[in-house]
Amino acid sequence: MTTAPLTPDAVKACCAAAYGSDLVSLLLGDAYHPGGLALTRELAGALSLRPADRVLDVACGRGTTALLLAQEYGARVEGVDLAAANVAVAKDLAEAAGTAAQLSFSIGDAEALPYPDALFDAVICECAFCTFPAKPTAAAELTRVLRRGGRIGITDVVAEPSRLPRELTGLTAWVACVADARPLDEYAALLTDAGLRVTRTGQHNDAMSRMIDQLEARLGVLRMTARARVESLGMDFSKAPAMLAAARTAVADGVLGYAMVIAEKRQ
Amino acid sequence: MTATEPAQVKRDRDEVFVEFTKSICPVCKVVVDGQVNIRADKVYLRKRCKEHGWFEALVYGDAQMYLESARFNKPGTIPLTFQTEVKDGCPSDCGLCPEHKQHACLGLIEVNTGCNLDCPICFADSGHQPDGYSITLEQCEAMLDVFVASEGEAEVVMFSGGEPTIHKDILAFIDAAQARPIKAVNVNTNGLRLASDKRFAAEVGRRNVPGRPVNIYLQFDGFDERTHREIRGRDLRAIKSRALDNCAEVGLTVTLVAAVEKDLNIHELGDIIEFGITHPAVRSVSFQPVTHSGRHIEFDPLTRLTNSDIIHAIAAQRPQWFQASDFFPVPCCFPTCRSITYLLTEGTPGQPDFGLVPIPRLLNVADYLDYVTNRVAPDPAVREALEKLWSASASMGTDSTSAKLATAAAALDCADACGVNLPEAIANLTDQAFMIVIQDFLDPYTLNVKQLMKCCVMEITPDGRLIPFCAYNSVGYREQVRAQMSGVAIADVVPNAAALQPILTLSPYGSKIAAADGHQDRKPVAYDATNVGDRAVDR
Repeated sequence: MTTAPLTPDAVKACCAAAYGSDLVSLLLGDAYHPGGLALTRELAGALSLRPADRVLDVACGRGTTALLLAQEYGARVEGVDLAAANVAVAKDLAEAAGTAAQLSFSIGDAEALPYPDALFDAVICECAFCTFPAKPTAAAELTRVLRRGGRIGITDVVAEPSRLPRELTGLTAWVACVADARPLDEYAALLTDAGLRVTRTGQHNDAMSRMIDQLEARLGVLRMTARARVESLGMDFSKAPAMLAAARTAVADGVLGYAMVIAEKRQ
Repeated sequence: MTATEPAQVKRDRDEVFVEFTKSICPVCKVVVDGQVNIRADKVYLRKRCKEHGWFEALVYGDAQMYLESARFNKPGTIPLTFQTEVKDGCPSDCGLCPEHKQHACLGLIEVNTGCNLDCPICFADSGHQPDGYSITLEQCEAMLDVFVASEGEAEVVMFSGGEPTIHKDILAFIDAAQARPIKAVNVNTNGLRLASDKRFAAEVGRRNVPGRPVNIYLQFDGFDERTHREIRGRDLRAIKSRALDNCAEVGLTVTLVAAVEKDLNIHELGDIIEFGITHPAVRSVSFQPVTHSGRHIEFDPLTRLTNSDIIHAIAAQRPQWFQASDFFPVPCCFPTCRSITYLLTEGTPGQPDFGLVPIPRLLNVADYLDYVTNRVAPDPAVREALEKLWSASASMGTDSTSAKLATAAAALDCADACGVNLPEAIANLTDQAFMIVIQDFLDPYTLNVKQLMKCCVMEITPDGRLIPFCAYNSVGYREQVRAQMSGVAIADVVPNAAALQPILTLSPYGSKIAAADGHQDRKPVAYDATNVGDRAVDR
C-alpha cells in the first residue's frame, strides 16, 4: 500500500486514529501493492504500452514499477511521489540499473501534478487512488496530463464502506488506508466524469487475499519483535485473529477487494 | 460397414503430452525415450523398453504446481572444471560432463557401505555387510580436492554412507573438509553413535565453529512405533531422542530428515515440524518421499508420494500455520525437484504466546525468483539473498544463511515507521528462523534426464567424478563404484515395484535384482536411438 500520497489533509480525511500512517506503513510497507509485479505487468499489457511511450507513474513509491516499464516495455517513465525518501530511492535504483536516461522522478502531489497538459501517452496509478482525499480533483489532474487517445490504468482497493464488517474497524490503521476506498463502479464514474471513456474493468480479489496474508504475517512479526511498542500505538494483538477473519469474509462476500480500471481519453 | 453399424468416431486421448525426454529402463538400465503427460491433474512419466515393455510413474501430484514451477528456473553456473567428456550423452557420461547445466551446491562423500542398522528402506543398500568398502583418509582428501577444484570455494560437503559415524576416521574427514575452502559440513547419520557416545558427540560439537559449521543431518521419520519398525526395522524413538539431546548439549544444530511413505508416516509431517520447532537443537526439517532406488518395500509407481503431496499434507495438517503457497520451488536445481520455505518463530508451539510466520508471506518471493517473467530484479541484493536461501546448499546454523535472511528482510520497505525498524527486527530474529525442505529424488521409474542435467547435489566418487545424486542411485553408477571399490560383482538394483514382482529376486544386500532368466549374459537388446550415431531412418 502506498502511503506516500497521504498529505496532511489526507491523513485528516481518512485516519480517524491518532497514530495514522506510521502504523499503516509498518503493517503494509511503503511501496507494496497487491498483486506484485505480476499485476503490474497485467496493467501494462492492458495499456498496450509501446517503446518510447511517455508514461507517468502517479505515487510511484520506490520506482519498482517505473523500472519494470522502462526495461520490459522500453517506456520513458516519469515517477511522481509525495515522499522525498521514496523519490531518492527510486533515483538510485534507476541509476544502478543503468536506465537513468529513461527514468526521472519528482516530488509532487497527485492533486496538483507538476506537468503540462497532454504530456503523457499513458498514466498509471497503483494502489494509491483510494487514498487521495479529493478524488475528482485527482481524476481531473490525471486526465489533464494525458494526451488525447492516451490511456489511464488504475489498480486499487475496492470496498463498499457501508457494508464493511464492524470487527474491521478495530484494525484502525488498516481501515485508515481502505476507509476511503470506493466500489469499482464509483472509480469508473470518477474517471468518466473527468472526461474519460472506461474501456475495461476487472476484479483481482486474490491480490487482496494475499495482502491480508501479508498483514497477518507482519502483525505476527511485530508481536514477536516489538510487541510493547506497537501495543502502545493502540494495536490490540488479541483482536487480530477476529479482524483478519472478518477481512477474509469481507473479501469472500465481495465487500472488499482489488480491481483494475482502464480508461481512454477521447480523441 | 453396413447401415446398422454405428460410424467410428475419433476419440481424444485422456492426457496432455507436455515433455519429451530420456530416461532408463528400470530393469535393464538401457537408455530409453520418455514422455511426460498430464492426466487428471497429475503428472506422469512414461517410457518403453524394447525388452521389458512399458513403465509409468507419478512424478508430481499437482499438475498446476508442476507447470507453475517452471518460472523458478535459474540460469545455471558453470563449474571451474569438468571431470568427464561428452561421449554418449546424458545420463551415460557422468560426470560432470561439459553439458551439465549446473555446478555442485552440495557434494556428498559416502565414506563406507557398512551400517549399524539394516533398515528395510535404504537407497544406499547398506547394512551389516561383509563385502562392502570404506574409504581411506587419503581417498577422502582426494575427493575433497576434486570438489574444491570444481567449485573454488565450495558451499557444503555432506558425509554419508553407510553410516559415516562408525567410520574410524570420520573426525579426520571433518577436519580435512574444514581445512579446505568448504563453507559447511553436514554429517548424515542415523544417530545411534551420537546417542550412545557422548564423547564422540562432543568431538563433533567441538568442530562446529563460527565460519566452519558442522550440522547433523539426522534420519528422523516420525513418532509412531509402526513408522520406525517399517522404515528402520527397529523402534528407534528413545535413541533419536537421546541423540538430539546430546546434540543440543554440545551445541550442534540438527536437520530432521524424514523418509516419507504413503499410508505409513505421511500423517506425521505436522508433528515432526512442531517437534523440530520445539527442540533446541533442531533448525530445519527435510521431508523426502521414500526413494525407490536401492532397498525399499514394495510400492506402486503410479501412486507414489511426490513433492506436491507433501506440501498439501503439511498445509492440511497445520492449517493454522501453512498454506501450500508458502512453499517455493528451488531455482538452482530443476524446480520440480525441491521446494523450501522459511519460518520465523517465537516461543513454544502449544503455548499461548507462540508465534509463527512463513517468510514468503512477508515478501513477494515470486517477484525475485521468477526468472522467466522477471527481466527486472527489484533489488539485486535481495534476489541474491533469496537465491542462497532457496538453494540446495542452504543450511541453518551457518553465518551465511543468517546473513541472507537479514538481507532478505531489507525488502520489507517500512524501515523506522513508528520507531520500529521491521527489517532490523527480523534480522535479529534470524537465529529463530526455521527451514522446511521437501525433496523428491528420482528413482529408476521417475528418472528424467532433464532434471539430472541441472542437478546440483553431487556424489563425489573415489575415482574423482562428480555424479548427480539421482544418476548415482538410479542409473547404475552406485553399482559400478561399489564393484570397483569392493572387488565384488554387483548386479543392477531394480525397483521393488508391485508390477515387477514376477521377475524380481533378492540381492545379497536386501534390495531387488532381476531374476536369472537364462540369458543374463546377453547385452541389453534395446538401444536408444538417440545420440548413438545411427541414421534417423535406416534405408
